[in-house]
Amino acid sequence: MKCYTPVIYKGLSPCKPNAIKSAVLQSEQVQYVIKQLAKEMGESPDIIQEEATEILDEMGHRMQLGAVRFFAFTLSKIFKQLFQRVCVNEEGMQRLQHAIQEHPVVLLPSHRSYVDFLMLSYLLYTYDLALPVIAAGIDFLGMKIVGELLRRAGAFFMRRSFGGNRLYWAVFAEYVKTMLRSGYAPIEFFLEGTRSRTAKTLTPKFGLLSIVMEPFFKREVFDTYLVPISISYERILEESLYAYELLGVPKPKESTSGLLKARRILSDNFGTIHIYVGQPVSLRTLASGRINRCPYNLVPRHLPQKPSEDIQEFVSDVAYKMELLQIENMVLSPWVLVAAVLLQNLPAMEFELLIEKTLWLKGLTQTFGGFIEWPDNLCAKKAVLSGLTLHSNIASLVDGHVVLNDKGMEDGAVGEMVFRHALAVLMCATYRNQLLNVFVRPALVAIALQMAPSFRKEEVYSCFNFLRDVFSDEFIFFPGISLKDFEEGCFLLTKCDAIQTSQQEIYPTDKGSGTVSFLSAMFRPFVEGYQLIFRYLSKEMKEAFTEKQFIPGVRNFVFQLLEKGSTQCYEALSSDMQKNALSALVQLGAVKKKKMPSGFTYNVNQEAVSKILDMFDDSADAIPEHNEFLFPEYEILIEPEEPEFPADSTDDEQGAEDTSKGAKEQEELGAAGTADEAFQSLDEETLEAMAKHETEEEKIFQMFKKQVAAEPEQIIRYCRGGEGPLWVSGENRPEEKDIPNCVCGAKRIFEFQIMPQLLNHLQVDSLGESIDWGTLVVYTCADSCGGGSEYLEEFIWKQDYSMGCTL
Amino acid sequence: LVNCFPKPYNRKAFWICSMLILSLMFFFPLRQELLKWNGWGYNDSKFIFNKKGQAEFTGKRYRLGGMVLPTFKEWIEKTFGASLEHKTTSRASLNVNDVPPSIVNEEFLQDLRATKISYSQDAEDRVFRAHGHCLHEIFVLREGMFKRIPDIVVWPVCHEDVVKIVELACKHNLCIIPFGGGTSVSSALECPEEEKRTIVSLDTSQMNRILWIDEKNLTACVEAGIVGQDLEKQLAESGFCTGHEPDSMEFSSLGGWVATRASGMKKNIYGNIEDLVIHIKMVTPRGIVEKNCQVPRMSTGPDIHHFIMGSEGTLGVVTEVTIKIRPVPEYQKYGSVVFPNFERGVACLREVAKILRALFASICLFLLFAKGHALKPQVASIFTSFLDGLKKFYITKFKGFDPNILCVATLLFEGDREKVLQHEKQVYDIATKFGGLAAGEDNGQRGYMLTFVIAYLRDLGLDYYVIGESFETSVPWDRVLDLCRNVKERIVRECKEKGVQFAPLSTCRVTQTYDAGACVYFYFAFNYRGISDPIHVYEQIERAAREEILANGGSLSHHHGVGKLRKRWMKESISDVGLGMLRSVKEYVDPNNIFGNKNLL
Repeated sequence: MKCYTPVIYKGLSPCKPNAIKSAVLQSEQVQYVIKQLAKEMGESPDIIQEEATEILDEMGHRMQLGAVRFFAFTLSKIFKQLFQRVCVNEEGMQRLQHAIQEHPVVLLPSHRSYVDFLMLSYLLYTYDLALPVIAAGIDFLGMKIVGELLRRAGAFFMRRSFGGNRLYWAVFAEYVKTMLRSGYAPIEFFLEGTRSRTAKTLTPKFGLLSIVMEPFFKREVFDTYLVPISISYERILEESLYAYELLGVPKPKESTSGLLKARRILSDNFGTIHIYVGQPVSLRTLASGRINRCPYNLVPRHLPQKPSEDIQEFVSDVAYKMELLQIENMVLSPWVLVAAVLLQNLPAMEFELLIEKTLWLKGLTQTFGGFIEWPDNLCAKKAVLSGLTLHSNIASLVDGHVVLNDKGMEDGAVGEMVFRHALAVLMCATYRNQLLNVFVRPALVAIALQMAPSFRKEEVYSCFNFLRDVFSDEFIFFPGISLKDFEEGCFLLTKCDAIQTSQQEIYPTDKGSGTVSFLSAMFRPFVEGYQLIFRYLSKEMKEAFTEKQFIPGVRNFVFQLLEKGSTQCYEALSSDMQKNALSALVQLGAVKKKKMPSGFTYNVNQEAVSKILDMFDDSADAIPEHNEFLFPEYEILIEPEEPEFPADSTDDEQGAEDTSKGAKEQEELGAAGTADEAFQSLDEETLEAMAKHETEEEKIFQMFKKQVAAEPEQIIRYCRGGEGPLWVSGENRPEEKDIPNCVCGAKRIFEFQIMPQLLNHLQVDSLGESIDWGTLVVYTCADSCGGGSEYLEEFIWKQDYSMGCTL
Repeated sequence: LVNCFPKPYNRKAFWICSMLILSLMFFFPLRQELLKWNGWGYNDSKFIFNKKGQAEFTGKRYRLGGMVLPTFKEWIEKTFGASLEHKTTSRASLNVNDVPPSIVNEEFLQDLRATKISYSQDAEDRVFRAHGHCLHEIFVLREGMFKRIPDIVVWPVCHEDVVKIVELACKHNLCIIPFGGGTSVSSALECPEEEKRTIVSLDTSQMNRILWIDEKNLTACVEAGIVGQDLEKQLAESGFCTGHEPDSMEFSSLGGWVATRASGMKKNIYGNIEDLVIHIKMVTPRGIVEKNCQVPRMSTGPDIHHFIMGSEGTLGVVTEVTIKIRPVPEYQKYGSVVFPNFERGVACLREVAKILRALFASICLFLLFAKGHALKPQVASIFTSFLDGLKKFYITKFKGFDPNILCVATLLFEGDREKVLQHEKQVYDIATKFGGLAAGEDNGQRGYMLTFVIAYLRDLGLDYYVIGESFETSVPWDRVLDLCRNVKERIVRECKEKGVQFAPLSTCRVTQTYDAGACVYFYFAFNYRGISDPIHVYEQIERAAREEILANGGSLSHHHGVGKLRKRWMKESISDVGLGMLRSVKEYVDPNNIFGNKNLL
């Protein structure tokens, strides 16, 4: 049996868990709250004291060495079964060992799996370090035997929410603080609050962090060490569970039988675990110069005190800093790169190409500071193959192509197919997501570059800023340093030659277009997913709703779109993304969150949401390339023009350019209508009346204006073989002889005209490179010769506004 | 005219010719002669290493005088890594050529001569009054020279003289810096470098008479220049005492106590200076400020005494003070209690302060042995004789306690015999509850004696590359332990960061108890070998320690005052508005900044 003599905090006065419990109950802090409650509720303090004791019993740990040994023994067996290797940074463990002796230590691991804290306790035990006491969710107590074992191994349990219960809060806070102050053992909890189902780092929760920081603020301890720990899994134990959960299939409650069933996975292989114990961060150093000490000096320390604003801000900053440190040290496996590449090349990708792309991405990731575990001698092919083998449940190699395993039942209904595919995509995305944390800054710059109307730095930055705000819950950004993030993104993009910057401008390089488009494609699921969700909110949610209503609603909405095939954004089905999008809107002020007795309700401010949508739409996020050669890309919506006057013919041209599937939700950009015979059939008298007042020139322009007024945003008018275009001016109209015949000899006839409104969308109005026209009229072969797919030259006539005509 | 006196009024020449006129009044420079020019206290009293290499305290003024301290050398070597071979030597005497010249307007000198107030422009006199006893000041004396010192020293002998001097200063626009005992540890006596006017050092030492004693009301009116021990000695002749005994009472003056809000060791019975003072007369550029009667208390708006007490020489010169007196106590008894650790000791003090309040004269808690390696018990310290007793004691009775963290409380009881014995029993009963054991009267007395000689220790350290200082604060009871631990830790940490190569000594004691809190003293010293600018490093560490004190809910100062050393924290300490209130008082009382020592504000 292992001799276990852990190093301990130098100021530790040894005590038993029970001594701690009674110290907590007798503490001024808890006694104060008990007295307060007794006064308020008119009950005797003894009853409340009783209640406090119960809370403490429910919560408290009973660390026993025997249990720890038992646990360590079984765990080592299980871990050996499940994982190939567990890699730990030795120097991190040594630093931790020093830290534990010096000051109270708080361990802040990332949270991806239940394995996290089992593994960490096991690790500390193996390295002869004091076992941490762990704040775990109370759901664990449901697992009868395991719950008790966990408790004996040092876990203590907190209810998931106890905002309203002052007694619980007081007892819990005091319990944690007592253990911290006495240096009894390292305290461990998860900043993310819960397991991240998407493998993206979740935005931090502040409650526990502010509790553990308080003893320092009150100077009850000299310092506190915060130790960020990054645990990365080559394959996450709960991967499919998470995907189901994200898709709304309810999560199984933690129970012992569940865990026993989990034994089935024991026969499976989950690859390697990497644990990186970060540099302990001294809270004192972080706080120096930031905290106004007055509030803590003027109130007795045992009174519960609402933290001041600057304290709250400080706590939040520390939380983000710790998460960023976790991210920095997260180890990325080759499979993560493979997943990222694969997701951009669905449904199937050639194996060789995948290898090539993966290698390229490896270089890029390293440039961006990602921490890739890629053995020196391992060739790319082997790395990709071993990833595929390990994740054979997600993707497989078929006939030299890599495909997602999304075929459940062969003849499933459409809905079933969509669900299967979404499941596979989400599982795959879980791995790609690990890369996003590293890529988010340069990628948002890349997207901003495409969104911004010009390459001017301010405009790119303002787009970046917008994106950063929108995605503030999706990715981890240190609060308030938008400009620094932007500069970091620019710096990284410059480093990989994707962009060049001058004093005023940022522009993509030819060489870097691949990188830029890869980055924006990588984040496209989020950009598109958010748009879908925003659209749902702005169109469908007229009344107050709760999160419980919102999630299924938006899920159905997206599901239907997917079934129709009008979107490919499967990730929008993820409840995680849906929640994040909603909370982003709350933060942007477009959705009001109200606290009701039954929980939170939300109210959408339609206008604000559509404004945010406009930001996306105005931008050209859907354009793969936005450079000097290509104009932004839009969808054209085609509708027949409602004739103002009875018309003799109403051709239905709608089939002509049907790029607008599911266009009902789309905002109208332009419309082309039937050529208007109305022009011809205008009352002669009216015309004459007009002529009395206006010149011929103005008359034509007035006609133009009147016609256009019905659909002011139209950009194209289509009427093949119709009577002719709508001229803007009487001048410079082509005679018949001006229009050359087609190469085949047939006459060219009018097909469509492009309206000047298009100019509004082309973004070429900057001085020196602007273009202008009144209308562009296209004539095509009357015989429609050359029916094949090759391109033919046709004839275009450009008419400008006449000089005499001013708009 | 100036040229007629190339060395105007050389002090000795001045003395000789003045003697003819003023005879007895002129023993005063003797006092200066008795004191070290570059260290603490009397010339004849200091720690030395004798020929055998053993430490010894010279002179006959203290009970420790002439005693050999056999383990002291080892202690200093172990604690600081100091070695007797590595010695720095101070200059033997002041180099007069280094001293900045005295620049005094001849018209003023003429006016001054007309008042018959004695004065001096001698370099030694001026340097002696250019500093207090901060570490950096002593360091400058040993190795360098002040950039700015007083241009002239004047010795008024009575209130009227002071009035005349202040009038002259206003007339000629001079800067006056009052000087009492010169024991300041807040840089309060340092002359502002940028001061362009003539700086007059107003030495109150000749205003040292007890003007009257009122036995019916138990008050005495005393001139402000009197030094603490003289006051007690002279009052004792009439069977009275003030009971105000700050550690510096051998040298500090009554006026200085008032100007800095001093605190005495026996304040539990007698009170601090603000409790003792009945009436103050102060000369300001606006005129004289005083109350119209000598009453125990009055409700006439904010107490103007509180503008004066703690004004640190920025408003005027305190000339006469009426102070409460008490009959000399019939019976005095020392005592001591040993506690297993500092925490228990503090808890006991808190309890004693709660239950017995003002019934005993003094209780003072030492952390006897510093924790860990800094100070091992077997080489226990200079408290040798003190410790020998204690050691024996703890060996016989304290087996099982960790000697590394023992701490001792010294006690002093005063009053009539019966009461004293009764209180003593009560204190010991309480102490027992906290695991304390009575450790004898002798040990208590030795402990008190040490408070007076401890200040001499620094001069010895300076000879061996060890610099140190003490500083104090007041703190609520519930924060005492946290504050002590954190400040000590901070000091150790800062030393490490600043490149101090030897572990520093950092220890503390609780010296005063109040209803709501305690006064805590810190001692901090380190060996500075290998550091190019030790004073700068020292000041950075001291500043960090003060920051730490404030962050832990301690005060800027309990009784040392602010001076120029701690000015930077004034705003934080008393708020913007508070500072503005003080400023407006200064502005009204002294619009031309005649009292321009730049303290406090």
